[in-house]
This record gives sequence, C-alpha cells and structure tokens, in this order.
Amino acid sequence: MGGEIEGLLVILCLNTIYAYGIFLPAASGQLNLGAAGFITLGAYAAAWLNMSPDSEPGGLGLPMVLSIPSAVLFAAAVGFVISVPILRTRGVYMVLATFAFAEVVSGLVINLEFVGAAAGMPAEDHVDFTGLLIITICVVAFCYYLMSTRFGLAMRSVHDDESVATLFGVNVRATRVAAFTIGAAIVGLGGALYGHHFNYVEAQGFNVLLSIFILLYVLLGGTQTAWGPLVGAAFFTFIPETIRWLGRWVGGEFGKELIEYRLVAFGIIIVMMMVLRPEGVVTRTLLERVFTLRRRAAPAAAE
Amino acid sequence: MEVLLQQIVNGLMLGGVYVMVAVAFTLVIGMLNFLNFTIPALFMVGAVMIWAVMQKGFGPGVDTFLNDTVGAQNKWIVGVVVALVVVSLLSLVIERFTYRYMKAKYGDATEHALPLVSSLGFLIIFEHFVIGRWGSDPLTMDSPFGNASFYVGTVQFSTPQTISLALSLAIVFSISLMLKKTKLGRALRSIAERPDTATLMGVDVNRIVPLVYVIAGLLCGIAGVLFAINYTTLDAYIGDKVATIAIAGMVLGGLGNVWGAVVGGLFVGLLEVLSIHWLGASIVKVPIWGMLLLILIIKPTGLFGHSAIGKGKF
Amino acid sequence: MSDAVLTITELNKSFGGLQVIDDVSFDVARGSRTALIGPNGAGKTTVFNLLTGVYPIDDGRTVLDGVDVTNIPAKDRVIAGMSRSFQNIRLMPHLSTVENVMLGQHARARGLAQQLFPLGLLRRNRWAEEARAALEQAGLDTYPGQVVADLPYGIQKRIEVVRAMVANPKILLLDEPAAGLNSEETEELQLLLRQINDRGTTLLVVEHDMHFVRTLCQQVVVLNFGKKIFEGTPDEVHRDPAVKQAYLGTDSTAPEEAGNAA
Repeated sequence: MGGEIEGLLVILCLNTIYAYGIFLPAASGQLNLGAAGFITLGAYAAAWLNMSPDSEPGGLGLPMVLSIPSAVLFAAAVGFVISVPILRTRGVYMVLATFAFAEVVSGLVINLEFVGAAAGMPAEDHVDFTGLLIITICVVAFCYYLMSTRFGLAMRSVHDDESVATLFGVNVRATRVAAFTIGAAIVGLGGALYGHHFNYVEAQGFNVLLSIFILLYVLLGGTQTAWGPLVGAAFFTFIPETIRWLGRWVGGEFGKELIEYRLVAFGIIIVMMMVLRPEGVVTRTLLERVFTLRRRAAPAAAE
Repeated sequence: MEVLLQQIVNGLMLGGVYVMVAVAFTLVIGMLNFLNFTIPALFMVGAVMIWAVMQKGFGPGVDTFLNDTVGAQNKWIVGVVVALVVVSLLSLVIERFTYRYMKAKYGDATEHALPLVSSLGFLIIFEHFVIGRWGSDPLTMDSPFGNASFYVGTVQFSTPQTISLALSLAIVFSISLMLKKTKLGRALRSIAERPDTATLMGVDVNRIVPLVYVIAGLLCGIAGVLFAINYTTLDAYIGDKVATIAIAGMVLGGLGNVWGAVVGGLFVGLLEVLSIHWLGASIVKVPIWGMLLLILIIKPTGLFGHSAIGKGKF
Repeated sequence: MSDAVLTITELNKSFGGLQVIDDVSFDVARGSRTALIGPNGAGKTTVFNLLTGVYPIDDGRTVLDGVDVTNIPAKDRVIAGMSRSFQNIRLMPHLSTVENVMLGQHARARGLAQQLFPLGLLRRNRWAEEARAALEQAGLDTYPGQVVADLPYGIQKRIEVVRAMVANPKILLLDEPAAGLNSEETEELQLLLRQINDRGTTLLVVEHDMHFVRTLCQQVVVLNFGKKIFEGTPDEVHRDPAVKQAYLGTDSTAPEEAGNAA
C-alpha cells in the first residue's frame, strides 16, 4: 500500500512539474501543446549525458548533478530557438505549431541510434522520491515567485490585453519568449527527473496524449494564479485513482465496471468542470473571496 | 517507376480518408473558430461501430439476429447506418457542451479555451469507453468486399478504395456546392464571417451550429467507416493517428477552405506513403510534422486560407 | 506658445484610401490642460492612436519634449513620457486594482532586477505603496485587492486614469475620461485631473461633455473629418462659425447646447 501511494505521489510530482512548465506560457496567453517534445528532450539529454561511455548505447558519463542541469539548459535552448518562430503564430496556429514540434522531436529521437533509437535508453543514476519531492517544491515555489514579480505582472497583462500592455511599456515579444523558454526548461527538468527516477527513457511513452493531459491540468486548474497547475495536476492525478479506490470499495460487478471505465468518468468530469468553472478551478475572484472571508472571520473570532 | 506509380495511387487512396477528416476540421474551424478535438473521436467511433456490427462486437445475440434478418453479407449496411446514426447523435451532445452551453452562459466561447478543453474531454470519454468495452488491442475485421481490385496497366487499384476516394470527393463536392448555392449555405457562411450580425440578419444560430457539428460528425463517421472497410485494422486510438495527419493536411490547404482541405488531405496521404517508401516507416513523422511546422511558421494561412481564421486567443 | 511639450506637425493617416487624419498640426503647451474635441468620427481617438503608436503614421512628425517620437515603437513611447487612458475601458480584467495600477508603473521599472522584484510577495514594497497611495488620492482605496472585472463602470474608468497617471508621463492623454460617469463622479474626476496637472503633468483630453471641457481646459483644438478647424480658448470655441457648422451639420449636440445642458 505504501509503495502504491509513493508511486502515485511520484506521478503527481512529475505531473506538477510538467504542468508548471506549460502554465508559464499559458499565463501569458500562449497554449503549448508540445509538452511531450520538451519532456523527450529533457529525458533523453539527461540519460545520454549521464550514461557511461562504455555501455550501450553510450553517453558522456556525467554525474547526475551535471546531467540534469545540462538537460534543463538544453531544453531551454531549444525552447528559446523555436519560440521565436512559433510565437509569431497565434491561437489555433500556435497550438498546432507546438504540437507539430513535439511530433518532430519524437519522430527524430526514435531514429537516432546514439540514444537507442526506438528501444529507448537507460538513465543510470537514480533520483529517489525524496529528491523528486524537494525539486517539485522548489519548482512550485519558483513559479509562485515568478508570478509575483513585475515580470509575472507583465505576463498576465499580455494574457489579458497585448496592445494595452505594449502601450504601458511591456515588451510583449520578450515577455512571451521568456515565458515560453522558462516553461520549456521546467518541462525539460520534469523529463530529466522522469528518466532518472524510472531509470529508463522511451520516446513512445511521451506521446500526444501526455501533451493533451498536461494542457488539461493547466487549463482546468486555472491560468490566472500560480496555484492553478498544482490544483489541476493534483486533481487529475488523484481522480482516476479515487475512482479506482471507489470501485474497489463498492465491489461487485458495478465496482469492476467503475474501475474499468474510470477514465470515461474522468472525461465526464472534465466536461462538467468546463460547464461549472470555465476559467479553471482556482481563479482570482475565488482567492479573493477565500481571503476576504478569512479576514472577516479573524476579527469576528477575536471578539 | 511502376512501384512509384503504385505508391502514388496508394497515397491518394489514403489521402481520400484524410480529405474527409480535414474537411470536417476545416468546416468547424472556419465557421466556429474552434479546433474540434472530438473529430478524431467521432472518426474512431464510426470505424468501431461498423467493426462491432461486423464482428459480433454487440454480442452473439445481436449478431444472430442480424444474420437472421438482413443476412451475413448485408451486415455492413447495418454497420454503416449504426455508425452514422451514432456519430450524429454524439455530435449533438458534443455541440451542447462545447459550444452552445458555453456560448449562452459566457458570451463568446472562443475567447476562452472552453470548447477546446471540453472537446479534449470528449476525446478521452469516447476512447476510454471503447477501450473499456472492447479492449485496447487492435480490432480486425473482415472486409465485406474481400480483395476486389482491378488493374490499369500494371498498377493495382483496390475497388473499395477507389469507390471510397470517389465517394469522399463527391461528398466534399456536394458540401462545397451546398455552401455556395443554397440558403443554408449562405447562412453558414454568414456565421463564419460575422457570428454576431448573423443573428441580426435572421439566421438562427442555435439551429445552424448543431448542423455544422452534425455535418462534420457525419464526415468523420463516413471516413471512419471507409477506413475500417479498406484497412480492416483499427483500435481506440486510430482517430488520433488519422486525425492528427488530417490536421496537417488542413493547415496546408488553409484553415476554413474546403478545397484547400481536399488538396492538403490528398497531399499528406501522398507524403506519408512516399516517405515510408523512400525513408522508412519509423521516420514518417518527421516529414509530415516538419512540413506542418514549416508552413505554420512561413505561411500560416496555408495555400488557400484567409488570414482572419484561427487568430483568436485560443 | 514657445514652450510646447508636444508638437504635432502635418499629421496624416488614411485607412484603405479614406483620409481619416488630414494635415493636422497643433502644439500642446507645457503644463496646460488642452482639449481635443469634434463630432463623432472626427478622428480624435485616431490622433491618440497615432501619438501612442497603435498605428503607424503615414506622414507627419510628433515631437515630445524635444524628442522625435514619430517612429519609435509603441512600448518606448510611454518611456519617452506619454501615457493614455482608453475610450472603452481597457483594464486588465484578471488583475486586481493595485496590479492594474502597478502595470502603469512598468515603464519606470527598468532593468532585470526590477523585473524580478517580487511585487506580490512583499506587502510593503515601494511600488505597491505608491500604487495604493495613488488610488487613495483618487478616492479608490477601498478596492485594492479586488479583480477589476467585478467593479462598477465609474470606478473602472477612474482606475484607468490612475493607471495612466502613475507612469509619471510628461503628457497624459485621456480619451473621454468622463463618459458614462454621473455628475458626482465627474466632479471627483475633475479634481483629480487638476491635482495631476498641478504637479506639472500636461493633459490632453478628448471629451464630448462641453461643460467638462470648459471648466477644466484652457485650450481647445477642434477636429472635423480629420481636419483641424479651430484652435483657441473654450470661450471662443462656440462662437466660431466653422465649429458651429461642424456640429450642427453632423450632430445635433452643438458644443454650446451641450455646454448649456450640462
């Protein structure tokens, strides 16, 4: 049971990191459906840098403390380079461009012999759950900090109204490129950690559905505040498991069906969430309400 | 040379499937400014429905009943009807939750990512329903037409594939004619151009938009059925595989342009088959998606698209 | 008129063959409160859009405090000393009141260190304090943390003025700041604008309410069909025959009537 919960928390950590990487561009109004591409880049870069040159398919043999940051820098560099042309596109076009980028990355990686081609490759050093948790907390804290800065303010302004942001001196292009690049770095970090935790990377696992799910965590969690991705990732990592648990608890034929169809229920929840909270679970207004209630409650309690 | 000609024919045949899906995408995007991810799901549902009717997917009881009433050789007709009825009904449900409900409640739905997210939700629902019901292994089906084919010179043409290609082009042609000539077509185009003023001009948006969904749904459903008949192997994710390539075709042709989607769909079919022929199956993603990426960066309006479509926030 | 903070010379703009701004030239005196008026469609907002760089200028020159800003990018014009409010409210709907005002400070917060300064984490930082003080001065301090989309129209309208003000511009361009406000709110707005002006900020105001213009502004420029037809004091403006003609010919509310009615 303990192992099962830890396994779930590992997935939650990775999903949270991915979600924050997609959240940063989303907070500045850009939908990135290419998460799988950056995960692939981060995971393979870390695995290859870390693998000793003597083993198959071979690598550089760097220790993990170097391979992970280098993988992050690599993902950031690729993110920066492609952000310049990709961010020229808008709306649907950008969704498609990021999506096409991820497919190109995956198509290339499964043909590169030096990273094991279609079979994938091992990532030798191991990151345990504690390490993963600490890094996840750091990522959440970093994004929370970033959203509270003037740069974060610029990002949110660009999301709301690009042309007005420009008239108040915001460099819209630089803001979008920065958000996309930092996001790419974070998703790449998630990929590197995935590799080093499971000790194996395989491009087939980083597919379109993964990109779609990560974008869903972000949009359902809400892009207005830095809490959105955390809530979104947690919600959607736990919901299928909760349904599974519920199915076991109910038992019998119905319980079995519930477990079998839990992702159908998950999809229904997504559609219903969009009906009930179209701007995401966590919105500014919600936070405002929660905090004013607390403020009002405090003096009342003091009396 | 002969091999190449054969590959070109195969590519165009495959392109015929992409054409219909690309046209479905382009209709919804052109009229409602929304990238509809339920299209892959409806394609898959169409394919799985005819499979289920043909291969006892609804259980032995239903199968015996069908054999007794319509006969084994005519089951495919029932399959087609079931597939089309199911996708039409699903299209109406999807319309409720991705467009109408949101629009009524929150103004212009395309301002938010709402329809996109809801459509992804539906994609997950349908795919996992099929997996839950029929498993995630490939589903194979016996083609009702066997291996019927004819030769032109040395190039082999599969008869059902040729009929499918002709059928899909005919359907697209009638849609394009309908858009141009009929009153309904004018109403649809007025929604595409100015959704706000369309209402003022006496167009009942709440009646027309479901129609767009049903037309798009039927196109995918028919494409799915034809795919199942011609290629006989499918699974729950077949819609993703086909529709993503169809998206590339649609973008190549230009968002919102029906004939652009036809050219684009045929082209990506060719590109896929020829890439496999020359470069190998494992690398096929690179030319297709590389092409899409390049088009989006260099000329996002594609070959024949308008610049206004798809520029909204999401 | 030797000391002009803004000099506009032979400004021209056409959209698809239609000349919307036709050889408009005028100066805005430093420290003045100048109004830009005219019937609907005269091109007032277009002048603002050209000044702030929303559209490129076809021909002409704009000089802001001795610096030619005709062709500099829109984002640099606020740094050069020009900020504006909008005819239709264009606050950031998902930002709070204070955050909207802090966006107005953006042009003054140069450099990476300023960009990475955690405005939202430290409650008592100088930017937030300043934004709150500016709101308080405008009588809007009751809604600091509220998301602006939920606030009433009149409040939002005034937040726009505060946001433009905290950019510390040399010239503040206000596009119909009093539109849609009730008389009490208009009064408060006048007071606020005078205070801003007293601290040395020049005001250029597009406004329909002639009473508002007459009580606030010392100088009036009148546009009609993209041409400047009059420049003078508010007292002279409604005696001018060309102005009368412009208003009566196109719009029933002549400035005189509008002024009397208000």
